[in-house]
Amino acid sequence: MSDRNVSLSSALKYKGQGPYLTYILHRIGGAMMAIFITTHVLATFTEMQGWQIGDVINDIYISPPFQIVFMFGVLFHLINGMRITILDLFPQQLIPYHRQAILIEWIIFILVYGFAVVTTITTAIGRMS
Amino acid sequence: MEVTIKIFRYNPEKDKRGHYETYKVEAHENDRVLDVLELVKGHKDGTLSFRRSCAHGVCGSDAMRINGRNMLACKTLIRDVGANITVEPIMGLKVAKDLIVDMNPFFDNYKKMLPYLINDNPLPADGKERLQSPEQRARFDESTKCILCAACTTSCPSFWASDEYYGPAALVTAHRFIFDSRDEGAEQRLHVLSETNGTARCHTAYNCTEACPRDIQITKAIGELKMAMVTGKID
Repeated sequence: MSDRNVSLSSALKYKGQGPYLTYILHRIGGAMMAIFITTHVLATFTEMQGWQIGDVINDIYISPPFQIVFMFGVLFHLINGMRITILDLFPQQLIPYHRQAILIEWIIFILVYGFAVVTTITTAIGRMS
Repeated sequence: MEVTIKIFRYNPEKDKRGHYETYKVEAHENDRVLDVLELVKGHKDGTLSFRRSCAHGVCGSDAMRINGRNMLACKTLIRDVGANITVEPIMGLKVAKDLIVDMNPFFDNYKKMLPYLINDNPLPADGKERLQSPEQRARFDESTKCILCAACTTSCPSFWASDEYYGPAALVTAHRFIFDSRDEGAEQRLHVLSETNGTARCHTAYNCTEACPRDIQITKAIGELKMAMVTGKID
């Protein structure tokens, strides 16, 4: 057994409730952006070399399903990061209300993400017609 | 009511890895999880090992993961967790046997916070107490409630990643002394907290605040420490 009795699966199964979910999603969003930027640079490089792999990666990037998934990570990371920053700046006054802050964050996220998804889908339909 | 309790078991003398064993016991819905563990140990399997002492939420001995969340077994009622219970040791510390973990890394981090009053100034003229107003006392009142059960520290993802991180309980201890108007060791403690394993590793997951059996606003205390470090002001 692991020396410190902790694994990725046991960590993910921990029932930390709402705030822990935002913590996990924040990290997933960050990882998505890091992977995106890395592969984007590599795709640009391979495209300049005339290799086909770059075109394949760029085709994935501009596809609406990819954009919808990717926007979830980016927008959540952005809005959650703003919530964390604001609470960190006023710990005495605001941190006791972190649950309410998370609720507000979800409302803002759903509105912004919903708008982004609708825009992406209508743009994609417009391109097809 | 019949309670089914699934308990993590590990005997370092026999087992290579931990496993779970399930027991069925008769208990009342107002019984605590600790009572159920006592029933199992007393009537089903005497080899079961777990820590307990006061059994009233004061000593902090029986912190464990109950249905996936850190709690004190002596403060958790069956009616609040249901008749199917899973009990596991807290995470991030080496399991010594069954539900008992090695608390040494936890207390090593605690000691780094210099958990005692530092004041080399002469005593007041009357030679008695260093007086403090009710407002000054209230400033750190919440952080005095910590019972060092480790429920917060072992619910923290940063501590899971590395036990070099001092952890929420140690930071609450630092808060308790830094904001005490009688203490003069704030600078030394803030220096310790500014190290790599100090407050910078708190990523505000709030697991500590959710897990604390004493309802201490731990993330708020850590936030106040971060502010004190940035501004250099303790108020």
